[in-house]
Amino acid sequence: MDMLKDWLVNYWLDLAVPLLVILGSLFLGLWMRNFAYRAFERWATRTRWKEDEIIVQATKRPFLLWCLLLGFYVAIQVSRIPPRWASLGGRLLGSLLVASIGIVLVDVAEKLLRIYLSKARLTVTLIALVVNVVRVAVIIVAVLVLLDIWGVPIAPLIVLLVVLALFGALAFRDFIPNIFAGFQITSSGVIKHGDYVKLESGEEGYVTGMDWKSVQLRALDNSSIVIPNSKLASTTIVNYGRPLKKAKEVFRFYSRLNQKELTGLRARNLVELAQVLKEVPDSAIYYHTHHFLEEHQYLTPEPPNDFAYWVGDILGEAVLAEKLASIDTFEVPTLAALRSRIVNVIEEHLSQGQDSRNAPEGQEFYFVKSRSVVFPTAYVAHDLREFVEVLRKISTNSLYFHMFEARLRLQRGVNDFSIWIRDGLDDVELANHIARLDPYNFTLEGLRSSVIQLIEKRIK
Amino acid sequence: MRIEDYEPFVGRSTVEELRLLAEKLSGKVIQNINSTFTGGGVAEILGRMVPLLNQLGIDARWDAIKGGNEFFNVTKKFHNALHGRREEISDHDISIFMETSKKNLAEVSLYGDIIFVHDPQPIALIEKKGEADKKWIWRCHIDVSNPDPRVWEFLRRFIVAYDTAVFSAPSFAQELPISQVLISPSIDPISEKNMELSQETIEGVLRKYGLTSDKPMITQISRFDYLKDPVGVIEAFEMVRKSIDCQLVLAGGTATDDPESDKVLSLVRERAKKNPDIHVLLIPPSSDLEINALQRASTVIVQKSIKEGFGLTVSEALWKSKPVVATAVGGIPLQVKHKVTGLLSHGVEGTAYAIKQLLSNPDYARRLGENGREHVRQNFLITRHLKDYLLLFITLEHGEDVIYL
Repeated sequence: MDMLKDWLVNYWLDLAVPLLVILGSLFLGLWMRNFAYRAFERWATRTRWKEDEIIVQATKRPFLLWCLLLGFYVAIQVSRIPPRWASLGGRLLGSLLVASIGIVLVDVAEKLLRIYLSKARLTVTLIALVVNVVRVAVIIVAVLVLLDIWGVPIAPLIVLLVVLALFGALAFRDFIPNIFAGFQITSSGVIKHGDYVKLESGEEGYVTGMDWKSVQLRALDNSSIVIPNSKLASTTIVNYGRPLKKAKEVFRFYSRLNQKELTGLRARNLVELAQVLKEVPDSAIYYHTHHFLEEHQYLTPEPPNDFAYWVGDILGEAVLAEKLASIDTFEVPTLAALRSRIVNVIEEHLSQGQDSRNAPEGQEFYFVKSRSVVFPTAYVAHDLREFVEVLRKISTNSLYFHMFEARLRLQRGVNDFSIWIRDGLDDVELANHIARLDPYNFTLEGLRSSVIQLIEKRIK
Repeated sequence: MRIEDYEPFVGRSTVEELRLLAEKLSGKVIQNINSTFTGGGVAEILGRMVPLLNQLGIDARWDAIKGGNEFFNVTKKFHNALHGRREEISDHDISIFMETSKKNLAEVSLYGDIIFVHDPQPIALIEKKGEADKKWIWRCHIDVSNPDPRVWEFLRRFIVAYDTAVFSAPSFAQELPISQVLISPSIDPISEKNMELSQETIEGVLRKYGLTSDKPMITQISRFDYLKDPVGVIEAFEMVRKSIDCQLVLAGGTATDDPESDKVLSLVRERAKKNPDIHVLLIPPSSDLEINALQRASTVIVQKSIKEGFGLTVSEALWKSKPVVATAVGGIPLQVKHKVTGLLSHGVEGTAYAIKQLLSNPDYARRLGENGREHVRQNFLITRHLKDYLLLFITLEHGEDVIYL
């Protein structure tokens, strides 16, 4: 006890000074937190930025700890503790300071980044990715500083980290442009989830997903297309905007190919023509009044039906040929009606006592019938935007099937497009506009353009 | 050769539809049988079609029957007789045909689900029909609009046993109890015979054959055969030559199944030797590039056939946007719509008159040529042919007029 007294009498100053330093730092810390921080907080709330409030809030709580750590450090330096212990204490205090600053930095960086990145309209996954990268970077720097404090040589570690970073950059060299492009796409707000987009390279569809690697589209054939962000950022995009009204049922595009079947029947003159016309199946009437639409697409106006052509060019009966050519197929509801109209025109001509001359050998009228093979294509449309885009792509066979074959041969009375637009989209006006187009007055490509124009006008 | 290579010519949707159709035939083996792997239109078409069908995922194969000179002499007689030419066909000829057919029946292995027999030479293979549940198609590449009745009756008893017969033009149809399908043949736009050529290549070929690009060139490309009337072409040319300075090229080859070719060739050479403006060129079957160059160098292309299966040389010429003068036989009227995609003629004088019209009116000639190219694009390219074959195989199982797949 006496020894302690003696020691205190002789060395009280050595104890009092460090204690005073510690107490001083405690008071300074408390004062700063209570008064200075209050002033900071008031100033921060007055500004329009949120960033200063975040920094003030984040540093307020550990500030007292930092003051104390500083106090302890100075106290150790002014005390007479043996240098070995003083050095150990200094390192411990330094480590605690670096760790706590690291935690605060991570917290502040995360909050600030979330503010900035959400202003840039980045997706949640992209924000999480950036935050994590920054978090890892801060932790790595803090660990390096800690190792340096404890005397571990960090130069080789830094080299190792640089090498690893280079490897990483190499390994992810394809992803890195995508990530940056992802920033650009989402921050610019050019496309959004649900938009209908069309790329210069031909891909198109509704945007169904966007992430840090790619943008996903649902294509017209219901398949999904994944487009890397880097490709998207460097191409021309047409954005048609939000989806239009969805139809009650999807429109599935069909196509139809034509097989020509020979009947072995032939006619040499008008009498035989009228006779055979009464016997042949509907599919032969259909063939001879329609096949030229597909075979002579390059000619405008297209040649008339086969009967008119043969009667005019081979038999030389110009008047009857004109009558046959002017039979309006668009007005006729069924193939049976078309057949009887053709037969009536020929028989009326014959009843006027006209001669029925024979065609030269080899140029008789050969009856061919059409067999249709109908099959679904990959294309479907849920709304008018998809519909019009598919319409640009489908073959003329598909267009032909829905506009000609459906109406007359399958006896639907009106073309398929009009039926879907009327029943599936309740758009009677547009349906009627398309139904009123006389498809026999166009080439197939001309017909395609006309229908597209009508729909484009509607969805503008 | 890839199926995608045709997209620039016919559009993507056409190729997509071929794929959709081909899917319906997965698992089926299509066995093509004809008489030769080289020479003539049939071998040429099969050489293209079979690999393309394979590309579409269809197991299509190709076999040829065997036969000696005697057999092919008889089948050549059949061929001429089916074209309507008078031929003496003896009982001995028939027995030669039946004997070789019997050997082939024993030797040819029939492994296909669909047996696709081309032309009369292998027609008797149908006698094996009962052996398994297979579909049989007979593809007639010949103009049978006016056949010699004896030969037709002889072949008819084989034909009616097939499930379906295929002809190249409506006028070839016969009254048969089996279904008859119309399928025109086709040309391949990316083959050596039809692909685009540089001016240098064309001029190189002209130099090789001693031709000049300074004079208008009238050309008939066909093998040396009476039915192609090469002498008639020379006569028409001589009429034109009286008023217009021009040159005539008669170029073609011979085929292994055509023993008459050499005779016709020497006749033509004899007829042409006095006139330095007439060039008779014997070109081997493999020289497609040279044929292509000659067609492209031509001012007018003639096809003065007396009978014609289809006349693919006409499609080749039209595809190269050349004005064509051709006779209205076989499948030619399907390709040449008079005054729209070319000019049709009937005799030597008419052919000479049409050639003169075209040589004197280059704008008119160009317009016909351009229409001709579009007509071929829509109706006579190999993609249309593939489509027709796929439909033919698919519809074998169906009887109705509207078939839903």
